[in-house]
Amino acid sequence: MLEIGNEAPDFSLRALDGTETRHERGSQSEPRLIMFFETDCPTCLLTIPYINRLARELGESSAILGISQDAEGSTRHLIDQASIEFPIAVDRTLSVTKLYDPVAVPTLFLIGADGRIVKCVSGFDKHALNEIASMMAGAPFIIAEPFDGAPETKFGCASRHLEPADEGELAETVNPYIKQASRASRIELDDSVDPFEFCLSFGDPLPVIPPAVERVDRMLAATSLAPDEVIALMPPNYGAATVEKIAANAVMAGCKPEMMRVLIPLVRAVCDERFNIHSVQATTHFAAPLVIVNGPVRDELGFAGASNVFSNVARANSTLGRALQLILTNLGGARPGEIDMSTLGNPGKFSYCIAENQEENPWEPLHVEMGFKPEQSTVSLFAAEPPHGVSEHTARDGKQVLKAISRALATVWSYRVCAGFEAMVVLCPEHVKTLHRDGFTETTVRDFLYENTGIPLRHYEDGFGEGVPYVKLYKQATIDGEPCYLKFLDPSAIKLVVAGGTAGKFSAVIGSWAAGPRGSQMVTYPIENW
Amino acid sequence: MPITLVNPLDETPRVVSKPAPRLGTLAGKTIGLLDISKPGGSIFLNHLELLLKQRYSVASVVRAMKPTFTKPAPDSVIEKLIDAKCDAVIEALAD
Repeated sequence: MLEIGNEAPDFSLRALDGTETRHERGSQSEPRLIMFFETDCPTCLLTIPYINRLARELGESSAILGISQDAEGSTRHLIDQASIEFPIAVDRTLSVTKLYDPVAVPTLFLIGADGRIVKCVSGFDKHALNEIASMMAGAPFIIAEPFDGAPETKFGCASRHLEPADEGELAETVNPYIKQASRASRIELDDSVDPFEFCLSFGDPLPVIPPAVERVDRMLAATSLAPDEVIALMPPNYGAATVEKIAANAVMAGCKPEMMRVLIPLVRAVCDERFNIHSVQATTHFAAPLVIVNGPVRDELGFAGASNVFSNVARANSTLGRALQLILTNLGGARPGEIDMSTLGNPGKFSYCIAENQEENPWEPLHVEMGFKPEQSTVSLFAAEPPHGVSEHTARDGKQVLKAISRALATVWSYRVCAGFEAMVVLCPEHVKTLHRDGFTETTVRDFLYENTGIPLRHYEDGFGEGVPYVKLYKQATIDGEPCYLKFLDPSAIKLVVAGGTAGKFSAVIGSWAAGPRGSQMVTYPIENW
Repeated sequence: MPITLVNPLDETPRVVSKPAPRLGTLAGKTIGLLDISKPGGSIFLNHLELLLKQRYSVASVVRAMKPTFTKPAPDSVIEKLIDAKCDAVIEALAD
């Protein structure tokens, strides 16, 4: 591998936009960053958003080139999936890779204006990323914050040219993230055993549909993925969630085969390090992953977002939520009474899945707020308490509706604890109508709730209790003439979703588990069109 | 009719490791105290450190702290305890 001080070899590659990308010594006046990557390397996927941020911050002057070691098809797929914002070239023959000889991917080479390598780093390393960003910006510049949910460092994967397989193996046939695991074992039941009775030990205490080979095969036929492919290792026991195991649990939950399209990204999302399912499953708190479905998949697979959205209204909602819970307990190992020692638990641990009622949302739906296109289907996850209802049928204007909601928000977690959590506000269509009529937008709703949800200072004179030792960390504000501590850290801690039927002025607030980089962060994953 | 099921449970192969040997005495040993950073953890461990030294003649106590109780300890925290050659480690929950 080339080192600091080495001359950066000249090369020429065709970028994916068709232009010829050259690197020639003496042709640049600014430092240039080259990133070698593979499309199926989790560490590369972890690194890309930071390089995106660097490209964005440096603007037009940024000289960043990503060099993919994989085929054009999978590279284009990754660009789309990861929203890559810097130029990418494909090193089809690995000729440039061999010149620079990185030991691993990702490897970043920063080339100085004199054409020599001034910095190189293999794998993911926040400190090194910040050094590179500062060198490129010419001033101290942080692109990788500590505790943003990503680890400080993470080893990369072997560079393609060093892999033991055929030299130049391309990832076109390899699915992202995937390793292999053994096929599931088979269990033979003779006529003396009732399969429904036998399967009562497979998950929640309600009867499941026996995962007969024929049913699992129908589920597997709905996906092009191989049965032995590992989609994720499921915390806290890190059991291998293979496509086949996911399919068997989906059968038990009562899913239709086409639900595999949603389950695969959902399993990836729940294992995203930012969501921190490890501790959501192990905490004594109420938290359970709440699944929120957005986009065209709602109609395609029959997800309900209107009346009774949190209850037993649609097969799609109920079976997807239940399948996730069965996967979490059967593959992740967080079984009640064992690793899952939740004090009171949560009825959502049977199934907790809603769709947004986008048709009644005059603003941007959740997935668009999270940066996706409206026509993209997504699943989002929120580490959620059960919903708490807010009735407001007599208020005349939007402000009064929000006041009612803010009073409910003030009670989440515990009345004197502020700032350490988030909350989801599920607005019903009638409340949304009033808010929209009065000129509110999602931003102004969030701002209003943030500014008007507080705990009066006098409550902190009641005596010692949870939240009291941390008052120095809380922000003060005056709400309705009364000095208060603000309940939330900032407006973004309040997540908005529109759901429910068009009759009834009932919204809901849902408290979170510990939030932010040290707790659980909401994640949104795209659902591909199959 | 007989029926064949696909095993829906975790079958990931596990390596079973033996528990670390138990100490016969605490006297003269180096004991690591790992604070998982829950509220009150440091108060509990301060008392424990005193007890270990005064009542059980522990030679030295090494303190380490996880950045957050919500996630597994990062390698750097584990390495600190390994580098200190602790004979045993006590991990403290709190609240």
